[in-house]
Amino acid sequence: MNGMHSMRTTKNTLVALLLAIGVSLPVAAQDAAPMQDAAPAADRSALDAEVQELRREVVDLNRDLFMLEEDLLFPASTQIAVFVSMDIGTFFALDSVQIKVDDKEVANYLYTARELEALKRGGVHRIWLGNLKAGEHEIVAYFTGQGTHERDYKRGATLTVEKGVGAKYVELKISDRLRKLQPEFVVRVWE
Amino acid sequence: MLASLLTIAALAASAPARAEAMAVPGLPAVKVQDLHYGDVLFYFYQHDHFNSLVRLAAYRDQGRLAAHARDAELLRGGLYLSLGQHREAREIFERLLADPATPAAVRDQAWFFLGKVLYAAGLYEQSEKALRAVTGKLTIGLDSERHMLLAQGLMYRGQYDRAIAELDGWQGPPQWMAYGHFNLGVALVRVGRPERGLQLLDQVGLIVTENPELSALRDKANLAIGYAELQAGKPAAALAALERVRLSGPQSSKALLGAGWADAASKEFRAALLPWLELQGRNLLDAAVQESYLAVPYAYAELGAMAQAVDYYEKAISAYDSERVRIGESIAAIRSGRLLTAALSADGDGREGWFGQLAEVPDAPESRYLYHLLAGHDFQEGLKGYRALDAMAKNLSGWSDSLDAFTHMVETRQQAFATRLPAADARLAVVDVGTLNTRRDVLQARLEAAFTERDVTALATPEEQGQLDLLDGVDAELAAHADDRSLDDSRERARLARGVLMWRLDDSWKVRSWQASRAMRDLDAAVYDARTRQTASSRAREGAPERNAALGVRVVAVSPRVSALAVRVDEAKLNQSRYLADLAISELESQRQRLDEYSVQARYSLALIYDRATSGQVPAPAPEQQP
Repeated sequence: MNGMHSMRTTKNTLVALLLAIGVSLPVAAQDAAPMQDAAPAADRSALDAEVQELRREVVDLNRDLFMLEEDLLFPASTQIAVFVSMDIGTFFALDSVQIKVDDKEVANYLYTARELEALKRGGVHRIWLGNLKAGEHEIVAYFTGQGTHERDYKRGATLTVEKGVGAKYVELKISDRLRKLQPEFVVRVWE
Repeated sequence: MLASLLTIAALAASAPARAEAMAVPGLPAVKVQDLHYGDVLFYFYQHDHFNSLVRLAAYRDQGRLAAHARDAELLRGGLYLSLGQHREAREIFERLLADPATPAAVRDQAWFFLGKVLYAAGLYEQSEKALRAVTGKLTIGLDSERHMLLAQGLMYRGQYDRAIAELDGWQGPPQWMAYGHFNLGVALVRVGRPERGLQLLDQVGLIVTENPELSALRDKANLAIGYAELQAGKPAAALAALERVRLSGPQSSKALLGAGWADAASKEFRAALLPWLELQGRNLLDAAVQESYLAVPYAYAELGAMAQAVDYYEKAISAYDSERVRIGESIAAIRSGRLLTAALSADGDGREGWFGQLAEVPDAPESRYLYHLLAGHDFQEGLKGYRALDAMAKNLSGWSDSLDAFTHMVETRQQAFATRLPAADARLAVVDVGTLNTRRDVLQARLEAAFTERDVTALATPEEQGQLDLLDGVDAELAAHADDRSLDDSRERARLARGVLMWRLDDSWKVRSWQASRAMRDLDAAVYDARTRQTASSRAREGAPERNAALGVRVVAVSPRVSALAVRVDEAKLNQSRYLADLAISELESQRQRLDEYSVQARYSLALIYDRATSGQVPAPAPEQQP
């Protein structure tokens, strides 16, 4: 059988394969091997450069549009933003937050697992961006979730804000009160 | 065939795409001092790098990140890096490093990320310089990655001894250690120290883990050991490693092929048939599967089962031919432009990022070979670019709609302003805050005089004031009749009445003084409010047309940028899709050519068997004799 061409071919293949292992072992390449007969590298790098340039311009444009949208819809004179943040959050598993301003619901947000993870890592969620005229306003936030021992938990926090001529930022912070093993809901106004 | 095996081998020996998973900068925890920086982090931690970057850039320009200026800059560079914008990332890190005010900790991180950018660009020598410029302590994750980038950069430059020195004795977190051992093992094999190299690879090959990345690394280590031991003429050791490769993983076909060859090397052809026959049910575009179609009849021939050898050669020819037809259909489908629709529908959530997850795809001509095509680096990179362009096109289309709404909004505001202006002007005209202010000042002066002189009558109520006026009138009348003694009784009663009234006013002086002061304060506040509102109203009345006009100008100015970019993005998408189609067709053509070669080999081997059977050198094929 050894003299048969097919057998020779297959065995030669094995040798080639083994040699290939020896040749390719050295480089701890991070990417899969390139495909056969790939298009010229120059084409690819030109296209890559074009994608990069376009993305840079799109990022810049989005930045300008983001600011334009805010200036147009929420001018600083009337702007108010409400943020939700979390400090540890061991005693409270947040599900949703509802915001009422002057007894009118303006936001009702249900958090995904990914968003909760982002909050726990230090992210701050701008839950509502709106407009309020100058004067006194009442903001009520309802936090729904599970407290200790997996019990359903709903808590409210109220704040009266005096809206002046500049933008107003309100932070709703969920933190742990270690001494009482209870969550704590702190409202803070930033200027 | 050699080319396909080279591909197998390259895959077997390659290190994991670790740096991509770690492209997100592992910035240390930051105590948020600006809510808007927290908002940026909220998107960053969700791996929504585009939104995070846009917000960061906007908030930075709005001056809302003052407390985190350097952290924000570092993050901005990291976000550009993770989006593949190497030039922007490099500029930011270099700028941070050039600034003498940059704190040492931020400087170290900037050196690290700059090293990473240079590594990604293939500038390994410059990358090494940047990575070695880190003088302080990085987080354990960044420090581990720094070691790995240094070692891999050295290996890419062929400096295996230095890579070994970098990795040998290095201690890091368990997951990073696995990558370190793998790379160190590969470097040791390369410098001719296979014993210790394979020992290290074996450690990686024996890791117990459910982590998908580590499982993939373990498979690669076992595959590398398997083929290296085969090369060294140790089939039993090769088999032991290859059997540890997961049957469902991407390396399984190569492992099955290698396991067959290990058995064959030990003359265990019956055992070799098991993995090789298992391969026959798999996708024929896989080089290991193609190879198995020739290996199976080879094993039967070695076992002397010529009938089965003939059957399997015929099966191979038929399979190669069918696959050629299927490839032809796919090429036609790709030429008609259906490939990218299939590739994008197989994608995950469509969010722009490095990884496109390939889900279950239908067995349609355009999607049949997607998995195979996506295994190719160039195709993957090209698809990544196409996906990024697609996301940009959708983004721009969304803004284009918004801009129409913005234009309408500005126009409506201008019309509403013009309509409401006369009524507002009329209302403003009747409000004379100046007069109010003067009257308030007069009142204040009167109050101060009353306090100074303790003028109790000044704080009398209107009713009491009436009574005092009445008493004054009575006193005047009585004075006019001073000689009339019959009025003495009335005089006494008037005196008493005045005395009671004055006593009452005097007795409540303190309370009345306090009430008057408070009323004065309330009046002050009311006058201040009126003045502020009048000023704000006047300013709004005067500034509104300019503000609206300025917003209108901004909307008009940005609109052509959106449409011009949209056109360029569409053109780039078209170019990218053509490139991908060419790439796919080129790959499938080469596969078809390879199948042609295999088919010729199978036919030739079949002819040889018949030829030798005819000449009496081997027994004629007899199906009933199959084992």
